[in-house]
Amino acid sequence: MASVEEEEEEVLLEVEAVESVYGEDCLVIQRFPPHLHLHIKPRTADDSSQQFVEAILELRAGTQYPDEPPRVGIRESKGLDEVRQAHLMASIKEKVDELSSCLMLIALCEEAVQVLSHMNHPDGDCPLCLYPLVKEDGHGNLLPFMKLMSCYHCFHSKCIIKWWNWIQQQSETDPISNASSTSSSYSRSRTDMRGTEKENQGTCPVCRKVFQATDIEHVLNLIKTYTPELSLEETEIDDDEEFQRAEVENIRRKNFEALLKLQEENNGLIKPRRNEVLLPGVFLPEPVTPPSISPKATAEQQTEPSFTPTSETGPSKPLNKGSTSARNNFRTRKNTMRNRRVRTTEWVKKENSTVE
Amino acid sequence: MTSSSAPSRKALSKIACNRLQKELVEWQLNPPAGFKHKVTDNLQRWVIEVNGASGTLYTNETYQLQVDFPEHYPMEAPQVIFIPPAPLHPHIYSNGHICLDILYDSWSPAMTVSSICISILSMLSSSTAKQRPADNDRYVKNCRNGRSPKETRWWFHDDKV
Repeated sequence: MASVEEEEEEVLLEVEAVESVYGEDCLVIQRFPPHLHLHIKPRTADDSSQQFVEAILELRAGTQYPDEPPRVGIRESKGLDEVRQAHLMASIKEKVDELSSCLMLIALCEEAVQVLSHMNHPDGDCPLCLYPLVKEDGHGNLLPFMKLMSCYHCFHSKCIIKWWNWIQQQSETDPISNASSTSSSYSRSRTDMRGTEKENQGTCPVCRKVFQATDIEHVLNLIKTYTPELSLEETEIDDDEEFQRAEVENIRRKNFEALLKLQEENNGLIKPRRNEVLLPGVFLPEPVTPPSISPKATAEQQTEPSFTPTSETGPSKPLNKGSTSARNNFRTRKNTMRNRRVRTTEWVKKENSTVE
Repeated sequence: MTSSSAPSRKALSKIACNRLQKELVEWQLNPPAGFKHKVTDNLQRWVIEVNGASGTLYTNETYQLQVDFPEHYPMEAPQVIFIPPAPLHPHIYSNGHICLDILYDSWSPAMTVSSICISILSMLSSSTAKQRPADNDRYVKNCRNGRSPKETRWWFHDDKV
């Protein structure tokens, strides 16, 4: 009898362990025999905008657990079609067989998270343009996509932005529908449907769930930036490529900024002493060698700031940014200035090393 | 068929063209049951044959839908009407205009011609009486100068049919 109690004790400890590992994502319905609901998410370093799938697993063990394996099922899921759900279940089942008559709750949860992390990309076509969400566009570029934070429906970023701009534009140019909503008992009225009445609100084209501007915050910057160009006129098409590039560019710029900051904090950057901003036509008086650093160190510094392997950009790209001023013209003028300054510094350095 | 001239017909935008081509391919691979699209070289107007589903009031009847796409499709809903003679239905006017919310206020760009067709067939199939809408004559008179149904301010009041 003692062994039975011992076993029960072990199971209870395991439940406790699951609880401590998953924290709020673990809902204990019953401690013994264990009955849990587990909210599993792919590992995206807590960046929820990069999370495209999730599921709530139900684990239910009998009194004979662990001699008898627990029953596992998917209670709810987002972003997973039947095929992918089946794949998730199959993987868990495999794990169950592998670990038969061991304590396996944690291992099963980990397996589920693992599988989910591998499947963490949207599936199928963009509902707006009907082209695949995740597929190379022929130029080797991935079209940027995003999800709505509330319902996990995914779209190409540029497609949802067009829809967003369209409904915003409609609400401006269609005062009738704003002034009085048609009294329809059938379904929600126009203003509700499109969410045009309240600013910064839209509805998911797929499920009509109302979403707030915060839902698309991760791409909203682009919307603000590009509203003038995205006036849904014919000319806008020509901007498309530019627009995509700009988004990529934005991410790249962000990465670069982060890197720059890191380098700065670690004193890995040589900054010009005076905070002078170089404008075209301004003459840099004398090539100044930063006093404390030898030319050798300077040469090292030159390669370091931008060419760290964590940066996904090619070596030359961050440096080019300063020159393509048309793209940088928006919002990140400050960044541009900064980049330009860095570039100038390096240029000066080079000059130095050749001089000496 | 002059009544069908859409208001200020502008050419399709490039986005609309791409999307329609995609829909056309999809339709050809997998057309919705009961529909036939007579493919022409006019991407902006589709004429689709509808066959009443068996076991409904419209069994063995064939009608024609005309779908006109606006410049900014799919942001903007297409104009969908029956080419007269339109089926006798409590939500279909004798001039072919269809009172169906998804064609107007409830349009969503995630809908497709195919999904519209299925909605219309479902609307036909659930009908229990072959009759015109109560306000048919008044409405049709109002529309006599070729007004598009998209200019109508519809009231959607019946969720049964």
